Amino acid sequence: MAISVRQSSACFSEPAHLLVENAVVTYGGKAALQDVSFCVPVGTSAAVIGPNGAGKSTLFKALLGLLPLEKGNIAIHGLPLGHHKDCVAYIPQREEVDWRFPVLVADVVMMGRYGRLGWLRRPGKDDRAAVARSLELLGIEDLAQLPIGSLSGGQQQRVFLARAVVQEPHILLMDEPFTGVDISTQETMLSLFPRLKEQQVTVLVSTHDLQLAATRFDRVLLLNRRLIAWGSPEEALTSKNLTEAFGGQVLVLNGVVVVDKDVQKRKG
Amino acid sequence: MFEWLVTPLTYSFMQRGLLASLLVGVLCAVVGCYVVLRSMAFLGDAMAHAILPGVAVAYLLKGNLLIGALAAAVIVALGIGFFSRQGTVKEDTAIGILFSAALSLGVVLISTVKTYALDLTHILFGNVLGVRTGDLWLTGCVGLAVLITIVLLYKEFLVISFDPILAATLRLPAELLRTLMLVLLALTIVVSLQTVGVGLVTAMLVTPGATASLLCKRLSSMMGTAAAIGALSTVVGLYFSFYANIASGAAIVLVATCIFIMVFLLAPQKGVLWRISLRRDVDPAG
Repeated sequence: MAISVRQSSACFSEPAHLLVENAVVTYGGKAALQDVSFCVPVGTSAAVIGPNGAGKSTLFKALLGLLPLEKGNIAIHGLPLGHHKDCVAYIPQREEVDWRFPVLVADVVMMGRYGRLGWLRRPGKDDRAAVARSLELLGIEDLAQLPIGSLSGGQQQRVFLARAVVQEPHILLMDEPFTGVDISTQETMLSLFPRLKEQQVTVLVSTHDLQLAATRFDRVLLLNRRLIAWGSPEEALTSKNLTEAFGGQVLVLNGVVVVDKDVQKRKG
Repeated sequence: MFEWLVTPLTYSFMQRGLLASLLVGVLCAVVGCYVVLRSMAFLGDAMAHAILPGVAVAYLLKGNLLIGALAAAVIVALGIGFFSRQGTVKEDTAIGILFSAALSLGVVLISTVKTYALDLTHILFGNVLGVRTGDLWLTGCVGLAVLITIVLLYKEFLVISFDPILAATLRLPAELLRTLMLVLLALTIVVSLQTVGVGLVTAMLVTPGATASLLCKRLSSMMGTAAAIGALSTVVGLYFSFYANIASGAAIVLVATCIFIMVFLLAPQKGVLWRISLRRDVDPAG
């Protein structure tokens, strides 16, 4: 373990919040993640970047313990995954949720408390207060009594973030939270990051938006089945790394379209 | 009118029948909410058919039919879970194979008996007026146990149904809860046999829940509404069956279907007519 900690200099002086060592995940017979190692220091916000099918969701599912590791290991606070309840919160992609389910916004947020409630116990005063605080934090207290299916995409995303906040996790995973949401929701979500950092919550966000990754996150993880780069945005988002990650795919960076090996200026 | 309502209740077989159908109507409707929300209608139907061999064996051994059915249902519930968990066969395929095999086995067993046609009719379509006091007790106890379990595990079942990934991050034993839900479904189907039979139990599971889903915004209120619809259907259906002299199970299911169609057309916001009138408001030309 000591060797792999030394691989990542940032973790050397800080306690490792999240450590992934030589993780291999196979999915449907194919290797979805090959030998991925990285270490996220306490309270970091990191963007996970990569083309479609790069294994971003697979990485998150592995961190949640939903997909077994073929090889390697994942440690949180130096302890194996599954050791602590409620430690990792996850904001699902929109298509992973059944929006017709008869459940109110307040009920969905309350689900974040179920982990600490335990069996047979009903939510009490403290739980309801925590839910109310979280709804207010995200500016959706007026929506509390509405069915989840009647909300807009941005509002639904806020509800799931509110639920994650109520969970009081150590690590928050968000799978493409900015896809299909309005700018104000995106800003509300991003404005939570400093507060989460204060509470020493580590945030991992997968996104296709390179500009956001470059400007709003402490660190960037570039992934395409294997780890291509992990570091500050300047270190990670070099054209060499991007080319390696995306190959022929086209991407927008600061209004610049990146096409294959050449960088051509075009309107985004 | 009063006399019209009271007359059937002077017969003790009608009293027992009414009580049994009320129990079954409420139980099926509440469990059925999960069947509707988790898209388990096919599974419920399959399970109902798959318990036939259990009933047949009990019948041939002159044992209690419900206990035979109960044993078969639990075996089938665990069997479906086992087959689909291996991942080599899709769940609906596993269900399809198991249920037709079990149904055939049941028919083979029952066809060895002389009164084959009559007995099979009772099992397939129910005979609520033949309910005995012992059956009523069994139905009541099993039903109560199922309902208490659903109330106690309300939040766990809610999470595994709405968001399985959250259930996993909360470290809930999802596999165990899913299997428990199958067992609850199996128990419900078995105690419903006498009332609506193998062939119609799916309707009692699905129709009140589907109706309630058009009216409710929360799972808890959906369960309450479905229970009320289930109870109303059984009572109205049984009176119909008494006065029109028609098969009770089928009458109950048809009443439930009528309620569904009315709600489907008239429900606020989700009903067909409501939507049409909304469209008119928005676009007068249309």
